[in-house]
Amino acid sequence: MIPPRALRRWALLLIALLGSLSLGLWGLATERVEPVSVLMPAPFADATAELVNAFNRSHPRIALSVTRGPLETEAVSDLAISSLLLGESPYDLLLMDVSWTPKYAAAGWLEPLDRWLGPDALSDLAPGAELGNAFSGQLWRFPLVADMGLLYWRTDLMDAPPRTPAELVAISRRLQREGRVPWGYVWQGKQYEGLSCVVLEVLRGFGGHWHVENQPQLDSPAAVAAASWLQDLVRQGITPEAVANMGEPEALQLFQAGDAAFMRNWPYAWAELNKPDSPLRGKVAFTTMVSEEGQPHAATQGSWGFSLLTGSQHKAAAVEVLRFLTSAEAQKQLNLRWGYTPTRLSVFEDPELRAANPVLADLQQALAAAVLRPLSPVYAQLSDLLYRDVNTVITGDQPAPTAMRELQSNSERLLRSSGGQG
Amino acid sequence: MRWRLWLLMAPALALLLAIFAAPLLHYLWLSTQAQSVLTGLQPQPIGAQQWLRLWNDGRFWQDTWQTLRFSAASVSLEMLLGLAVALLLNQPLRGRGVLRTISLLPWALPTTVMALGWRWIFNDPYGPISRLLAGLELPAIPFLSNPALTWMATVGADTWKTTPFVALLLLAGLQTIPADLYEAAALEGATPWQTLRRITLPLLTPYLLIALLFRLAQALGVFDLIQVLTGGGPAGSTESLALYAYLNAMRFLDFGYSATLLLGSFAILLILCGAGAVIWRWSLRWQGGLR
Repeated sequence: MIPPRALRRWALLLIALLGSLSLGLWGLATERVEPVSVLMPAPFADATAELVNAFNRSHPRIALSVTRGPLETEAVSDLAISSLLLGESPYDLLLMDVSWTPKYAAAGWLEPLDRWLGPDALSDLAPGAELGNAFSGQLWRFPLVADMGLLYWRTDLMDAPPRTPAELVAISRRLQREGRVPWGYVWQGKQYEGLSCVVLEVLRGFGGHWHVENQPQLDSPAAVAAASWLQDLVRQGITPEAVANMGEPEALQLFQAGDAAFMRNWPYAWAELNKPDSPLRGKVAFTTMVSEEGQPHAATQGSWGFSLLTGSQHKAAAVEVLRFLTSAEAQKQLNLRWGYTPTRLSVFEDPELRAANPVLADLQQALAAAVLRPLSPVYAQLSDLLYRDVNTVITGDQPAPTAMRELQSNSERLLRSSGGQG
Repeated sequence: MRWRLWLLMAPALALLLAIFAAPLLHYLWLSTQAQSVLTGLQPQPIGAQQWLRLWNDGRFWQDTWQTLRFSAASVSLEMLLGLAVALLLNQPLRGRGVLRTISLLPWALPTTVMALGWRWIFNDPYGPISRLLAGLELPAIPFLSNPALTWMATVGADTWKTTPFVALLLLAGLQTIPADLYEAAALEGATPWQTLRRITLPLLTPYLLIALLFRLAQALGVFDLIQVLTGGGPAGSTESLALYAYLNAMRFLDFGYSATLLLGSFAILLILCGAGAVIWRWSLRWQGGLR
């Protein structure tokens, strides 16, 4: 028999224990914070840092953290893929380049966004920005910033930019002859993805197509003419031979030094060229790529957007992050503070932004000219075939007709062996 | 008695099997599968199709040739220069310690960093070489944009980086050669050339072989230098087997073919080493016959 006093003491202790336990559990339940992790290339991680802080302040239940990825596009992809291959990716959201989407979707790494964002998710997007987010009938990506190929030209050397390939050549030769610039036109000619973007624009400008209904069209007369034009630029000395190893930074370096009249590059170059210490500050403008009479002035679409990963344990919270970071308010800040091109129509038409950023209307126009690289899970191979072959044309190792015939048959073989899943 | 030996070696053997044989067997299995983005990354058995594809893949043979060309050129240069540097550093010079340290610096740099450095050195038209040539009113040399030149540029960068490694190995070897041999040779009136041929080189042979083996294995698997310096271009002229296998795995997500490529280059390495060993035996026997 236990004495009543001892019993009372035990009971009190038990009550105290249970009480504190339930208090703790209740606290845990209400204080539970959902972690959301995003992988972004380094420049985007820097640009969104303030937005991320704002999100964490206004959403106490979600702890958003950003992993600062490498600088280079393909290095980010390598990092993402290595983690995805291990099965349990540490990320919930991924900031993706437009050309990765079909591959990642086919690998089963992405969660369709239709269900999460609703049917009118894309309704506010500016014309051109809606391209490249959907693949095989589902939405896989929501664009954060737009990116498209632009033709930069020197306002101190000419009154108006060339609109046809022949005009570009004529102006370049005149300026070179007069000794005002050593070179006419610089672009991305290295054996890498940037060359595919350049080729697509020239190809469309000559009236050709990379793909029509999953069939490559790379030995068409227009495609051969486009490749020959690029080769002739080098042969005639309008483009330096070094272009065969030029990426975006190398082309920008040459143009910014004042050594060329034209450059093909992305919108980021605009901010670089207008920095206070830039020798070309105020002497540059941009337009879309040249094209033959009656053909489109094409701008290769190169945007970045968020995708939700299948392996995420916090999908609802991640979608909230996605909505916040791609909202009109966020895009406005990214443009004002960092010069990133928005994707939402409402942001393009924002009067405050229009006043602060005089080239916004030009960017919107260029975005409307956006063209897509083929949407295919084997796009990486298709592009690898294209930039290797066209690079041999640029170096002069192969005549354009031979190289394009070879490219066409290689592309056809690749698509055949992949079961027509082009 | 014998089983005891095996018993004692068992842990080491098990470790070797786990580290070398298991991945190799896995790759062998993978090379009989279609595992790519088109199969949703699930393996599907397809027999010997990947090997047929390898056999018919012109790019594989082109990359094989380019990898061999790169390895032969860079390793022979490194052996020659490494030997010269080792002989020099073995001399009783003043400030030898400082010289030895300085000569090791390229080897201590991470490959990516030094490749970026070389990319700038070769930059056309703003790199130091181009500027120097422009100052002399000579045309720029398209080091990185001309397929006939670029592979030599990669050999140059690799030689700069790895000569110190060979020199270090050979220097260690030189220091094991007893000094009295050289004294005897000097007494006999041997010329420096005779001393080098009759004493230094024969006694250095094991070290030369080790350096050769290390360097060949590394050069045949060259990846980071090429990736950073040229990305395999221009016109695919510097793409190595390792770079091609990497592209297939990481960019194309075609793991079956990537495994086949790696095994294919492994087979080539084995054949090369086997041929080298046979030639070595033969030349030894031939020399023995002459004496």
